[in-house]
Formats: sequence, structure tokens, C-alpha cells
Amino acid sequence: MSFYAPFCLPFIIGAVVMFATILWKWGSWLYRLPHADKMRILRGLPTTRTLSAAWEVVRESLLHRRIFRVNPLLGYMHMSLAFGWFLLIAVGWIETVAYLGFRFVPLQGHVFFKYFATGLEHKPVFDFLMDLLLLFVLSGVALAWGKRLYSRAMGMRRTTKHVLGDRIALSALWFIFPARLVAESLTCALYGGGGFLTGSIGAWMAGHIDAGVLIYLESAAWWIYSSCLGLFFVALPFSRYMHIFTEIPLIFLRHYGLRSSEKESAYDHFQIEACSRCGICIDPCQLQSVLQINDVQSVYFLRDRRYHSLRLQTADNCLMCGRCAERCPVGIDLNTLRLNSRDTMRNVPDEKRYDYLQGVDRSSGTGKVGYFAGCMTLLTPRILLAMERIFKASGEEVWWADKEGGVCCGRPLMLSGETDSALKMIQYNTELFRKHGITTLVTSCPICLRVFREEYRLDGIEVLHHSEYLLRLMRSGRLNVTHGAERFTYHDPCELGRGSGIYDEPRAVIEAIGELLEPAETREHALCCGSSVANTAISDGQQLQLARSVAAELDATGASTIVTACPLCKKAIARGTQTEVRDLAEIVAEHLQ
Amino acid sequence: MKRVIIIGGGVAGMQTALRLAEEGVEPLIVEKEAELGGKLRGWHRLFPSFTPASEVLGELRSRVARRGIEVMTSTEVKAVEAGAVTLVDGRRIEGDAVTICSGFDLFDARIKEEYGYGIYDNVFTSVDIERMLNEGRVARADGSRPRRIAFLHCVGSRDEKVCQRHCSRVCCVTGVKQAMEMKELFPEADVFNFYMDIRMFGPGYEEMYREAQQRYNIHFVRGRISEAAPTIDGRVQIKAEDTLTGRPLRMSVDMLVLLVGMRAGETNPAYEAAGLGRLESGFMAPRDSFLGNVRSRTEGIFYAGTVTAPKNIGETINEGCAAADAVLEYLKKS
Repeated sequence: MSFYAPFCLPFIIGAVVMFATILWKWGSWLYRLPHADKMRILRGLPTTRTLSAAWEVVRESLLHRRIFRVNPLLGYMHMSLAFGWFLLIAVGWIETVAYLGFRFVPLQGHVFFKYFATGLEHKPVFDFLMDLLLLFVLSGVALAWGKRLYSRAMGMRRTTKHVLGDRIALSALWFIFPARLVAESLTCALYGGGGFLTGSIGAWMAGHIDAGVLIYLESAAWWIYSSCLGLFFVALPFSRYMHIFTEIPLIFLRHYGLRSSEKESAYDHFQIEACSRCGICIDPCQLQSVLQINDVQSVYFLRDRRYHSLRLQTADNCLMCGRCAERCPVGIDLNTLRLNSRDTMRNVPDEKRYDYLQGVDRSSGTGKVGYFAGCMTLLTPRILLAMERIFKASGEEVWWADKEGGVCCGRPLMLSGETDSALKMIQYNTELFRKHGITTLVTSCPICLRVFREEYRLDGIEVLHHSEYLLRLMRSGRLNVTHGAERFTYHDPCELGRGSGIYDEPRAVIEAIGELLEPAETREHALCCGSSVANTAISDGQQLQLARSVAAELDATGASTIVTACPLCKKAIARGTQTEVRDLAEIVAEHLQ
Repeated sequence: MKRVIIIGGGVAGMQTALRLAEEGVEPLIVEKEAELGGKLRGWHRLFPSFTPASEVLGELRSRVARRGIEVMTSTEVKAVEAGAVTLVDGRRIEGDAVTICSGFDLFDARIKEEYGYGIYDNVFTSVDIERMLNEGRVARADGSRPRRIAFLHCVGSRDEKVCQRHCSRVCCVTGVKQAMEMKELFPEADVFNFYMDIRMFGPGYEEMYREAQQRYNIHFVRGRISEAAPTIDGRVQIKAEDTLTGRPLRMSVDMLVLLVGMRAGETNPAYEAAGLGRLESGFMAPRDSFLGNVRSRTEGIFYAGTVTAPKNIGETINEGCAAADAVLEYLKKS
């Protein structure tokens, strides 16, 4: 039995190009990984992490559990295409084995088995199974067509605007399965057999179409099917469909502990090319929903970076609020990738600019607890005064790092890509903290908190946000507050919530003082105040528009006071509402017993 | 006799009413406060001549009284339409025309939290200084004499961060005037004015500015103060940048005075709801900046004074006359 026919050629060429390109890509990325990352992989391989990664591959690359969480219909669409196609291949392989036993069958023999197996005795079980699976995939294709017309039905207000290459690949993909259905049905029409789908259509065709015509049609249909496959395979490594294969190594590498950092690395390619451009990141973006900016969202950022057409305006125009990363079904570390793009495009440290850092120490007081107000708290002195009262009431001896002015924590520079300049600040402050021998570092600014926790090496010093610290004081009985009937609502700062995972502490503090009312979008889904230091592209007026939309949601709770735990959010939201906006520390200081 | 309703009994409202009364029209002033005078009641002496504000106010009030102009005080307007206003208590007053003279509001300096107004002692606004001058006692919170005073220009003006893009115009010269008054009261004190630009637009202003520097030895530093903080001894430490020398500077002062700007009046949105145009700054938009500068988009509704833009008192008085003339012309036609 021979497994070759001329129509197989497009498929064979496509498959060869695809696998060669993918292997070359993976190989070069892996080769260029930093040594430490390579060692992580080697150490991780023989552990259970490999197993848990494999299990995640099944859940995410095949079943698409995370997309189901966004919208069940959208999840089913992706699952039917991915898992359905996978099953078609797997069951198809079993089918060949069942027919021919264990013997070498070339790839096209498996894929076009129906064409080659006409002389063999039919096995109705496989006919049925393969038709069922084909129907499963076709239902996904039908949904994909439907999504083009009405994406809202799948929970997406907006979908990605695709580039030409993606459109070609997408069209090829859409026609693969209908073409397969037609080709297999025509073969059944000529030679009989087939399940409930191909068999029935084949029988109908045999009854209505002349046999001479059928022979031509069959040949043409297999050519079309093979060509669609070939075209799709050639396009795959260069289009969004590269995600199909890239997500798999990404999941493994992630389990081995590889992460992107503020400097670009070869690992980033695995993240960037794992983006399927599904566009789920577009809807949560407030730049889109409030400001109608449509070309900077993560999907477009990753696309531009992948095709080397990224402009600084695109990289810069992001609040880095993390709302998109929260929803990304592939779990791509979107903020870090944007950060290291900014680093590549802008990191030009001015060696002389920071000479003034030498020998500066304006700190005051002594104590094991250090308090770092940060620039924004110094610009919102009510918070600083409240902290002063709280420290006094709890009897804490405090070392004030920057009450008389200090050096920036470095995060704003880091967010703008000036990583090396930021490192100078980081080094300065680290030495300052060490010099004064503190064991706890409290800050009321989540922007500072994040960089202290992620970039500083502060072994032996516990870093706390004031919300955590306040709750600790209250729980240990060192700080007593009065509980009243006042109604508060709470705004989750991005850097504190999604950035540092602190959601419960500020809420617990508020509930000790009054009633807490949650806005419509809260915790992981909370909105950004709009004044993020990470965005240097939008104008002040646009920041205000964002602030107003956030404030409207907070005001809708009917609370008399909006509470937040970030001085920047406080300033931003106050611009958008008449309601009083207070920091957590302020309401605690006001309700001290 | 034709009746014209005038919303607001400040300088603009009184002058409009006076002019209308002279021409035989019956004006009715509706004033939300208990007495006539508007913001002028809070001022001490007026730039550039240092004329006591009470002189101007007293003269305007007595003219209004002599003319027997009808005034409704402690009466607030809720809605306006051509030929009538509705009061907060629901009453409706009808007339043949309406002139809106409801003026401006002062920028609330507490919004610029970084300057510590309402948080630290010894941070004042220009309005506080006028009040203290009127009370005859200018002093620090502890009653002592200041030895170093800083004025900060453009608080709530030309500041996108607080949604106030416009220039309030009169704060520059107010800052110069108050600096001179401080220097007269405390000759031994150092007085600094921190500014972005000094805008001396009126007659005699530039001369005053020169005198402040040459004769009063007041220091003008180009640069905004970025933040203020209290010191242990109750002074205020300010951080700024001298943008002419490019150097950051910090100094402790005994008093920090914030020259607060003019905000659009809080009743302006209600006028907008009646179909009148409003500028991006929140002030009301006159029909045009030239021949229609005291007319609104709606026939029969007119503007005078700072309801349309920041103005000084002289300009406001002129506009009162201009608005009255426009009203008279309208009444003749109708």
C-alpha cells in the first residue's frame, strides 16, 4: 500500500517548513537563554514540576480552562478547535494502527488516511468516532465565524484587529475542516463507508452527482484540503498561530522557574510568541474603554514587539495596572515585558546626574521600625501626619527615612525604563536602611512597597505596607479604634492589589472603623485611578477622564468617604469627585480611641 | 416700567443696576449673601493705588441706596431663563431681561495638599491676609512677628493638575501688593515671591512691580514651590527650584502665603443647564469676545463681571455699564 499522491505535496511542504521553523526558533531561544536559566531547566527536568507542567499543558493548551472562565462559549470554541483537532490526530493515529497494525506510515498517510484506505474493510466504530470529532471541530469553526459577526455573545466587546498574515492564516484555518468534510464525503460517495456525517453526505452525493464528475471533484477536494493545511502550516510559525506550539514549552519553562525581568532575555520570546492575539486583554483596558485609544493594548504591544515594529509611544502608553495580565488566558507577564522593552528603548543612565546622592542623609529619629513616606506621601502631608499620630498612639519608636526629604525609591525610573538610574536609587536607599539598623520598614506608598519587595535586597528587614502594619497594630491591641456607622468604599490601588496581592488588610482596617461598601469592579478587577506613574504618554486631561470614571463607580456605592491606600490614587480620585477621598491612615488616625 | 433681574450684588451687579436705573429702567438685584458687595467685602486695599476697598464698596452701596434700587438679599437663584429666574425656595420672579453677575469662586487651597493649607500652622491664603489686614492684626499662628515670608503665585491657576488651566490674572499684582504691605508692616522681614511668570497687565501694575523690587527690596524667584513641610519650631519648610539659575532650593519661612486663583462660579452649571454656553474653564461663554462680550447665547440674558472670566475691579465696573447698555438696547427693541 503506497501513501503518496500528488495532492499531498502542499501538506508535506507546509509541515516540513513548519516543523523546521519551530525547531529552529525554539532551539535558538533555548540556546540564547542565560546560563542561570539553562541550569534551572536542567535542575527542574527530573522533578515533579515536569509532571505538573504536563498536566497544565493538558488543561490550558488543550482544554483552555482559563478561557472558559472568561466566557463559557468562548472557552468551548477554543477547546473544540484545539482539543478537537488533537483528538482527530490522536484517534486518527489509533485508527491507522487498528487497520494496519504497527508499521511505519508516513505523516500524510495518517492525515489523509481516508483517501488511502478505500481498499480496506471498514471499521464503523472509527468511522463514527472520526465523524464525531470532525463535527466537534466544525462546531468550533462555526462559532469562530459567528464570533466575527457578533463577538459580544462570547463576552467580548472588542476583538483584535488582525494584520494581513494573521488573516491569511485564519482563513486557511477556517477552511481546513470544511474542506476535510467535503473531501472525505466525496471519497465515501465513490467508495462507500464513512460515519453518520461523511457517510451520509457521501451517499447523498452519490445519488445526485454523476460518477464521472465525482472523480474530478474528489481529486479537487483533496487538493484543496491539502493546500489549506499547507498554507496554514507555512503561515503558522510567522503568525499568531505560533502560540499553539509555543505555549507548551512556555508552561514547562515557567514551572522550572524561568521569569522575565527588567532586562530583555531569550525567555521573553517564549512569552511573546505564546500570545494568540485572542484580544481578551482589550476589554479590560481603561485606555480603550474610557479614552478610546485602540492601538496600544497588550495584544498590539506583543505583536509589534514580535515583528520588530514596536515604537516607544506604544510601549509607553500603558498604565501597567495589570488588569489585562489578570485576564490573559496564557498567563503572559505583560507588564514585565513592557518594562524591559522600555528598558531597551530608553535606558541611558546619566552618570553625573546622581552625584548628589553621595553622603546625603536627612533621616531623623531612631527606632527599629523605619518609615519611608515616599515622594507622593510627602505631597499628601495629611497621610504623613496621620502616620505620625498613629506611631505616637501605638508607642512605636520610629526612624523617619525621608520626612525631611529623601531619595526616590526608584520605581518611577524603573517603570519608565531607566533601570540603571533606578539601581542607583535602590543602592542608596538600601545602604541607608542598613546603616540605621532597622528591622521593619513601613511605607504608605504601594509604588515604593513594590520596588522594596521586588528589587531591593533587604534580608533581615521586613517590608510592610502601612495597611498591613496598621492591621498588625490593631490586632495586637497596640492601636484601638472606634467603630461607627460611617459608610466607606475602598479603591484597590493597582500596585497594592494586583501588584502586591494585598486586598484583605486594608478592608479589615476599614471594617474595624465603619461599614465597607464594595464598588462594582473590585479586588483583582479593580479599576486604575488613571494617574499611574507608569504612563508617560497620556495627557493630564486624559488622566482626569480616567479618574472621573473610577470616581463615578466609587460614588455609586453611596459611601460618604472614598478610602484608598495609595497617595497617588488619593490625589487622582480626588480630582474626579466631590466626595471626600482619604487614605487608610487618615481614617485610622481620626478614629483613634 | 421695564424690569431687569440682576443675579448677584457684587461690583458688577451694583454697577449694572445703577446704570439701568439712571436710564429709567427698574433693576432688581438678587443677592445670596445677607448684604451687597460680593468678594469686595473681604478685601483690604485695592491695587495699584492702595485705595481702601471700603471706599469703593461704600460708594457703590450708597449710590444703590440713593437710587432706591430694589434688592433681595439672602436670596439664591436656582434656575434662569430669558425673562425670569426661579429661586431656591421655588418662587419665580419675572422681568423683561436678566443679567448674570454672579462672579467667581475662590480656589480652595486645601486641594493643593502639598502646600499644607489647613494642615500646618502658618500657611495662609491671600484671602486670609486681606482679612487679617482688615482686622488690623497680621501675625503668625502663635502671634509672633514673621521674619521671613514667602508668597506663592498661581495656586489654583494655570495648573492642569487641579483642572484650572486658565490664568486668574489678578493674583500676580495681588501678590506684589501684599508683599509690599507685609514689608510695610514688618520692615525687618525678608519677603520672597515665587512665580512662574509675572503678568502685570494693568495700568500702574508694572510700576508697582518695579517699586516692590527697588524700593521694598522684595525678592522675586522664578519657580514654583513643589512642597511644604512643617519644622519642629513651627515654621514652614519649602522646596522649590530657582529656574533662572537652575538650582533646587529649600528654605524655612515664618509664613507661607498662597495666592489663590479664581474658579468659575459654582452656579455656572445651572446656567449651562438653561442652555447658556460655558467655556472649558467653567466660566460662562459670552456670545463672542468683542461686540457680543456681555451677551449670552440666549436673547434677553446678559453677563457682567467675572462670571465670564477673571477680571479686576475696574474692568468689572466697565462691564457693568456695557451690560446695562446692551440690556437697554434689547429692551428698546422688544
